[in-house]
Amino acid sequence: MLIWLLSDHDHRKHVAFKNLLGRFSAAYPDARAEFVVKSRKSMWESLFAHLRDPKRNQLADVIEIPQNWTELLSRLGLLSDLLPHLDCLAQRRFPEFILKELFYNDEGRAFSAPWWLEAPALFYRPQALKGAVADPEKELATWEGFRAALDRVKPPPRRPAFRALSVPGSSGAAAVTDVLPRVWGRRGGLFSEDYNRATFNREETIGGVDDWLELAVSGKIELFSAERFETGPQPAEDCAFMISSRKLQGASRAGLRMLPYPGYPSGGGLLLAYNLAVTSSARDQGAASAFVGWALEPRNAGVFAEGFGAFPCLKPAFEERVREEKEEEVYRRLFAAPELMPNIMVYPTAELLLQRALWRISLKIVRGDFDREDLLRELIMAQGEADYLLSLY
Amino acid sequence: MIKKSVNEHFPSPLPGEAFGDRGAFMRGALEAVTGEFGLDGASFYEHDLKNGLLRLRLRHVAGVTFEHQENLRPVPGSAAARALETQGRTAGKGSGGSFLYLPFTFEFCDPSGARATVPCSSLIRLERSPRRRGFTASESAKAEAYLRSYLRDYYKAEFLSLNRKYDKNIAAITELTEVFATALRVRDSFRHILSGIQTYFGFDRVRLYLIDEKNRKLKGELSADIRGQIKSISYEEIPLEAGAHRFADIVLGRSSGAFMERYKDCVLYMPLAVQGVTIGLLIVDNLLSQQKIEPQELAMLKSFGGQIALAVDNSRLFDKVEELSLYDELTKLPLRRYFNQRYQEEFYRAERFKQPLAMVWADIDYFKEVNDTYGHQIGDKVLKEAGRVILSNLRKIDFPCRYGGDEIIILLPQATGEEARRLAQRLSQELNEVRIPVPFSSAKELRVTLSIGVATFPGDAATMDSLLEKADDALYWVKSHGRAGIALYSEVAAEKAKAAAAGGEAKNGDTTKV
Repeated sequence: MLIWLLSDHDHRKHVAFKNLLGRFSAAYPDARAEFVVKSRKSMWESLFAHLRDPKRNQLADVIEIPQNWTELLSRLGLLSDLLPHLDCLAQRRFPEFILKELFYNDEGRAFSAPWWLEAPALFYRPQALKGAVADPEKELATWEGFRAALDRVKPPPRRPAFRALSVPGSSGAAAVTDVLPRVWGRRGGLFSEDYNRATFNREETIGGVDDWLELAVSGKIELFSAERFETGPQPAEDCAFMISSRKLQGASRAGLRMLPYPGYPSGGGLLLAYNLAVTSSARDQGAASAFVGWALEPRNAGVFAEGFGAFPCLKPAFEERVREEKEEEVYRRLFAAPELMPNIMVYPTAELLLQRALWRISLKIVRGDFDREDLLRELIMAQGEADYLLSLY
Repeated sequence: MIKKSVNEHFPSPLPGEAFGDRGAFMRGALEAVTGEFGLDGASFYEHDLKNGLLRLRLRHVAGVTFEHQENLRPVPGSAAARALETQGRTAGKGSGGSFLYLPFTFEFCDPSGARATVPCSSLIRLERSPRRRGFTASESAKAEAYLRSYLRDYYKAEFLSLNRKYDKNIAAITELTEVFATALRVRDSFRHILSGIQTYFGFDRVRLYLIDEKNRKLKGELSADIRGQIKSISYEEIPLEAGAHRFADIVLGRSSGAFMERYKDCVLYMPLAVQGVTIGLLIVDNLLSQQKIEPQELAMLKSFGGQIALAVDNSRLFDKVEELSLYDELTKLPLRRYFNQRYQEEFYRAERFKQPLAMVWADIDYFKEVNDTYGHQIGDKVLKEAGRVILSNLRKIDFPCRYGGDEIIILLPQATGEEARRLAQRLSQELNEVRIPVPFSSAKELRVTLSIGVATFPGDAATMDSLLEKADDALYWVKSHGRAGIALYSEVAAEKAKAAAAGGEAKNGDTTKV
């Protein structure tokens, strides 16, 4: 059995999966399982390559996918229905906000099983905020408050590597996962509520993207960071704020505290979930489904997600994990009324369109020739393409 | 240093990855060099010269190799920057650990299909954690030589991959030529052409539009998706006017602008022209996957453009010729040859599903006299009107036919004798209301009547021949009993039986209108 895993900025995820697979092999010595870690782009290309030429481009038996790829991939006939094989799906043992997007079509079929999730949040070092923020809970509740605090934070003496804000999950350029939490915070989105038209060009969406890009333009975050290439992600001790969707390694040691993502004072907001799916070309559907079932078991999913600071999706494991968190109260707010990215056929392509626009803008920012008009133009073009896609699919 | 062959590097490629795949090759190289030199990690970057970025493609650390997307810049003057600048190996030490940077230039085969190669600058970073020793000069030289041996094998793999591509192209050229040639003879030739394109190119979507010159429209024909599923897009109709739609502009040769520029990598609009005349538009796209259509594929598809256009045009001509041979030009009704084929199908269906099938056999009264008295031109007008009235009164499933001369047969699937009679009455009445002007004649205009016989399966007949015979009998009855009437065979048979029982009274000329 071959498994394709999505790559992650945090290498601990790959190691956690390697350990998980080790436990699986120990429990089932006759089952032979291997895994390959693929980037999101490479996974996407491999799936389409299989559609184009299935003989030359075989698929893995089990794949990890962002939850909102499910509708597209199932419609393209790439995934198997897991509902008859997994009790947890049949009994809907997942939080309601996950079920809402999982059973999007309400056809009584489930082509992927929710595995783990992450929620963007704001981490801060109280020590670094002295003199800049008196009441973090109150002042950092809004984006404006957070933005003003960033300006007030001063680097401590003899700490040349200090930065006010660090984004450990950054891929270099501004990315969809960076801007969407802010877009959601402004109640924007990529599509209208009835999914009949694209809304890249809506004021709330543009504003959300612009808020994030402004951080780069003003130098609060460094795009294509040279320091990161040399030394890796910024250590928590060298920054005042961190925006991350994972519980950070050594957070307690560095004295980091946590708050909901700015702009969601009452909690909630965007949440990212990742699912396991069995491909329709899997050689042994039963064995592949059994592996997914095993990986989703509360203990296995819990240990795996804990390994890189994420949460398991299965309700008992999820709730146990939240209960055990030091920042339980903040997590409860984060998970109070979260939203997942819509699971509709064209959404993954729409994300690609936005990603391409952000790439071009990121290059312009680094070259110093970015103008807000560039952003408007890019989003208008991307909206046109997304609308055209909606008319086709 | 031990030089390994390419097969030793890759004894068994992982399932799902083609041997010789660039990713699999680099994976092998990073894993091997990490083990050989006791590294904590090794990374492979592509150097984006235009933007001065290093694009992380593959990384091996803690026993796991993973692809990852990360685009970063080297610090100016750093070891990495110097390695790229001088194209020589450079070692460096910092808070992140000890690094050895090895720049390589790969020669990729030109994706446009030209015989040239495209250089790709890249950087391999070998890493040791801060707690461990750095890279000595001799160790650095050994590591470089070790990786260069991989690079030599890489070219073998690249050659194999190129060879496979050429094989695929040659197969595509041969088989697509065959597809486009045979498209002339197949009934559903457009489907054949589209599925041929999808089999060899596998675009997200292929769409075919044809120009309807008469109505100045671009009409959708068929669309094939990435899974090869084909569906009709006949609901799409675009006015062929400048500015009406992007597709119309392309066909009219007026398209340009930023939108087209943005689309050029994943969409190909291919106007289909035969002898300088545009007959349609073929659109292939990778819009859903947003993947670039390889220049080589674009070039190949473009080179097939002429053949595709010719195949499409020939298919249309073929359909036209078929139409001419199957339909009567005057009445627009199918001819007897076509009827025979459909009659078999309809009769088989009625038998299999135990459904009724009615046959209406009509004859234009005194048609020979019309021809003889007023000439063939007037006779043709009569036939034309009869065809028009019939075609405008039938359901979609009914099948009319000009059976010969002035005889017309209509098959009415799932219809009873009474339903057939009602249709016959409607046809008779409508035709009777038609006035055909007759110049240079005292009559000034002509009125036409029909004699109609009706028989049904299974009530009147159990076989095809028998059904024709019974409908003809009923028609004959009407003609022999004053014309301009309608007779159902069942009633004719009952009348005949009654007459026979009455001792042949009917033989003495006592006609009964049925």
